[in-house]
Amino acid sequence: MNRIVVIGLAVAGMMFANNSLIGETIDNVLKTENTQLGVSRSSVGFVDDMAFIRRASVDLIGRIPDLVEVHEFQSWPVATRREQLLDKLIAHPRFADRWTVFFADLLRLRSAADGGAALVAHVHRAISEDQPYNELASALISTNGKAGRSPEVGFLLGDNAEPMAMASVTSQVFLGVRISCAQCHNHPFDVWTRRDFYAMAAYFGKTRRFQSNFTRVVYTSETDQTSIKWPPEDEAETSERRFLKPSFPFPLIAADEHPEFITRYESLLAAKAAQLAQAENAAPSLNDLLSDADDKVKAATSKGVDAGVAEAAAEISKIDVTGSLYRRSEYREQLAAHITSPRNRLFAESFVNRVWKKMVGRGFVEPVDDFRGDNPASHPETLAFLADEFVAHGYSFKSLVKMIALSDVYQQKQAPYGVDTIEQEALEVAFLANPMRRMISESLYDSIVTAGHLFGVKHSPGQNERVYQEQIRVLLKDGEGKAVGLGDAVATADVQNLAGETPAKAMENQNSQMKNNSGGAYRLEEAIELDFDALLMQDDEVSLDKMVAKSAEELEAERMAMQRPTKARPGMKYQTKTVTRTVDDNPRFSSSLRMATPAREGHFVRVFGQPSRADLGEKRDDTPTMRQSLMMLNGRLTHEASRVGDLEPVHTLLVGAKPQLVKAITLAYHEIYTRNPTAAEIQAGQQIITEAANVKAGFADLRWIMLNSNEFRFIP
Amino acid sequence: MACREYRLSRRTMIGATSASILGFSIRDLLAFSGQDHSAKAEHVILFWNGGGMSHLDTWDPKPGRPTQGEFNPISTSVPGMQISEIFPKLSKQMHHAALVRSIAGTQGAHGRATYNVQTSYLPSTNLRHPGVGSVVVHELDNNSDLPPYITISGQARRAGYLGQRCEAYYVAAPGEKDPYLAFPQGIGQVRGDRRLEELAKMNKRFAVKKEDARLTSTQTSIDDAVRLMRSPALEAFELDKIDAKTLARYGDTNFGRGALMAKRLVEKGVRFVQINRGGFDTHSNNFTAMANHGEVMDPALASLIEDLSETGMLEKTMVIMLSEFGRTPRINDNAGRDHWAPVFSGFMAGGGIKGGQVIGSSDEDGFMPKDRPVQVADINASMCHALGIDHEKEVMTPLLRPMKLVDNGSPIMELFS
Repeated sequence: MNRIVVIGLAVAGMMFANNSLIGETIDNVLKTENTQLGVSRSSVGFVDDMAFIRRASVDLIGRIPDLVEVHEFQSWPVATRREQLLDKLIAHPRFADRWTVFFADLLRLRSAADGGAALVAHVHRAISEDQPYNELASALISTNGKAGRSPEVGFLLGDNAEPMAMASVTSQVFLGVRISCAQCHNHPFDVWTRRDFYAMAAYFGKTRRFQSNFTRVVYTSETDQTSIKWPPEDEAETSERRFLKPSFPFPLIAADEHPEFITRYESLLAAKAAQLAQAENAAPSLNDLLSDADDKVKAATSKGVDAGVAEAAAEISKIDVTGSLYRRSEYREQLAAHITSPRNRLFAESFVNRVWKKMVGRGFVEPVDDFRGDNPASHPETLAFLADEFVAHGYSFKSLVKMIALSDVYQQKQAPYGVDTIEQEALEVAFLANPMRRMISESLYDSIVTAGHLFGVKHSPGQNERVYQEQIRVLLKDGEGKAVGLGDAVATADVQNLAGETPAKAMENQNSQMKNNSGGAYRLEEAIELDFDALLMQDDEVSLDKMVAKSAEELEAERMAMQRPTKARPGMKYQTKTVTRTVDDNPRFSSSLRMATPAREGHFVRVFGQPSRADLGEKRDDTPTMRQSLMMLNGRLTHEASRVGDLEPVHTLLVGAKPQLVKAITLAYHEIYTRNPTAAEIQAGQQIITEAANVKAGFADLRWIMLNSNEFRFIP
Repeated sequence: MACREYRLSRRTMIGATSASILGFSIRDLLAFSGQDHSAKAEHVILFWNGGGMSHLDTWDPKPGRPTQGEFNPISTSVPGMQISEIFPKLSKQMHHAALVRSIAGTQGAHGRATYNVQTSYLPSTNLRHPGVGSVVVHELDNNSDLPPYITISGQARRAGYLGQRCEAYYVAAPGEKDPYLAFPQGIGQVRGDRRLEELAKMNKRFAVKKEDARLTSTQTSIDDAVRLMRSPALEAFELDKIDAKTLARYGDTNFGRGALMAKRLVEKGVRFVQINRGGFDTHSNNFTAMANHGEVMDPALASLIEDLSETGMLEKTMVIMLSEFGRTPRINDNAGRDHWAPVFSGFMAGGGIKGGQVIGSSDEDGFMPKDRPVQVADINASMCHALGIDHEKEVMTPLLRPMKLVDNGSPIMELFS
């Protein structure tokens, strides 16, 4: 399923970028609509190139640009550099990393849930390969199978395949409609009735979550009988309640209508199919795969091979989506078809509205998951245009992002200083100025790592040697009261320091990130990256359960924690000894975008607003808290990012008899704020540096201040 | 301000108008008017014993019955009230405490039961209810430099729809240094302060170019952090200056240090402190395990109650010990007891609770509630009642669904008098 080959979208993407097909752009449509709405204001104007590269890099690849990227950008022709940059960013490996976070928030991905880690990796791959959004969504809604092996099933397992929950989730996530209130009563703000809700739940009525008693493997499959009955329990006697057939309560464009965008979508599909047919060794389409799988399973079954054996057969392994153990859900396939149909306007509109909101700062419909009659879009025509283009271009996510990023709206400045809040609101509602946005937590983390040169090593070996003493517990031999030699003790793991590490382990870890982050104290700022490819390996050797959601380091850390001797073993005598160790504590940090997600409670990215994704409708919190400040002011990440390393470019400017402060300060502004400093800022920077104990310390102070400042965390 | 985001509590609304009228405090006035008569508590110390603590080997002994197990009951400072012999020191403080022996739980799995006892709600697939600590700090003002809600030796229930500001501040291990409360290593006070000064200037310069309330609130959060870093109240976290004798009285264990820290925190005005301890899931060797737990818990709990009552703090501090369920009266083949939700016990003292009493009872073998069954939500409602919080007040979820602070419980009025 995750091997779907997307052909022809490159073509679609190119067409999308300049919209030459229809000669209309989102900005024109918006302008016309603003005129119709009687808006007399005009745009506040565009950001300059430096602000643009910062904004686009943070939004598209989740970190500020480094100097190499800025210089490359500046070397491109002025007329085309912005589009060139967008193409580069969209093709960047970090594009999928960054937008996996967006999808993870939307789909409430949790790598520790059943099948969750594989689902994260699957979504990452879908973004990276630009799998059409309708195909991705369709599979999430309809797939039955084993957690991990069929990654999409993680979506259903995230809510235990519970029909009522899935009715709410599916409507809200894919259609932006809050139907969940109708579970208990007719919707207070909308037209949805309890019966609509139950009819929606009925699509999931035959689906169950199973867990093997032997292997603990979790999977979903279909039963013969639905669990959804009407009327609800609290409205009728048991004897009066009847099994309910599913029906789709949301409006679809009638089959006899042929809007232009659907015609275009259909011809795109036809072109793709033709291309597929032509291509040598063309990869099979999803439908081919499915029907192929069907045949194989039928063949296997007719030969009397039971499902368990069939499952073990390597040939079947990639197609067990349809195996008899994991029965197909006809109901949910119908639902997926309804939801992702181009005739379902809510599907495309709610999605483009979310992406627009993420990039521009304000949705056409707010809140983004509350589409309903009496909460209309601020610009229905513009929203419809964006949605139609999205459909007509084959639901290509990358093309959608590019279209938005190329629009005038995306490139606009924020409301100028001095306008009152009413005027600011008016400008923002009309999309004539952009709201101020704080970086999402992951981007903030990665931007600090980028600005501080911490993805690589910035200190020469030996520059960060740290000598520390620790207490270890040494086993005494029976009756002798004599310490066991260190070598023996390591072998039997009876020597342990008070952090629960054996010396051997501690040595091994010396250069690893964990050790570099000073063991436990700063663990809330670590980012351990997951190997997404490994999570998607279809190898039976790899178990894609919760355990793999943890990295090898984490598992090792847990194992060590388990070994921590809370009590001396009876009959053994121990002696506590103090030993001195020297460690080269050279800091490095990894990307927070590829961590197990959501991060542990209290982690930097959680403190800055990464949601737990347990609740439907839970928002990313972008409000400041004291805990955020404590982590930024006193944490290891900002501290290490500020410190000057001898391997980073600025070092040569700071050492020697005559440090080049103006150049160094300018470099800091380029690296941290992506702009030139003003004369006053250079002066202020010089003062900060000269007042410090030495130049390097002063420069670290300046960087620390800049990293902690508002200008750093808010996108220009 | 506490962490409210939706509505003002009754207390704040009044408090916001005027702190006192005719020299009477709001609390006095409410007391006169009869509205708030039993709201004596201002702080809560919750001991959360994870795993399901045996009620039979602690608060509800069954002497002479086959379900008694290996422990004998002992007499307490309250005539007629007996508890397990694993609490010799605490038995002398029981005149301060009330035992509820008839909590009728409905959940027998750890996750669901813990959720139920900590939130009063049952878990729902896509809505997460706040823990009682978050409810308390959502409703009450923060009168301290310290975070109003602190959890020690383990995470507390999340704040759910009450928002990030109602989350607990986490202390991994009592007495261990929290690196985030001081400048990074190598940054001295003078240098750190100068950095902060320059940072404020930098933010001010930026605010002259842009105008947004969020820029100001970042600086406010920095100011809050710095106030905490500089607060003398921080010493409540530091146990290294405590004399050895006091430490020994509490038992020099993580649990004992946690209890001691909790006492110091509430003295500094912290509203809600949760101390977590695990290891109560005694499917095997129940009696060895419980004897060990007793050795750790007894000195800590007894010293805490004694010290709080000596300083008068006990009157306004509710000390409560809960677990997600009890354990089977039947002793299994591994000398263990298994999960048992139908009846279990809770320990409550202080904060207006009338000490020396037992509420409800279980049947003679400790299987089922006998007198005055208490629902799980009644415990949460009682905590709210003691603090003057309207437990039926509704707050809005992000989807604008109104949720009561406590799920349909009613306060156990006999606890208060």
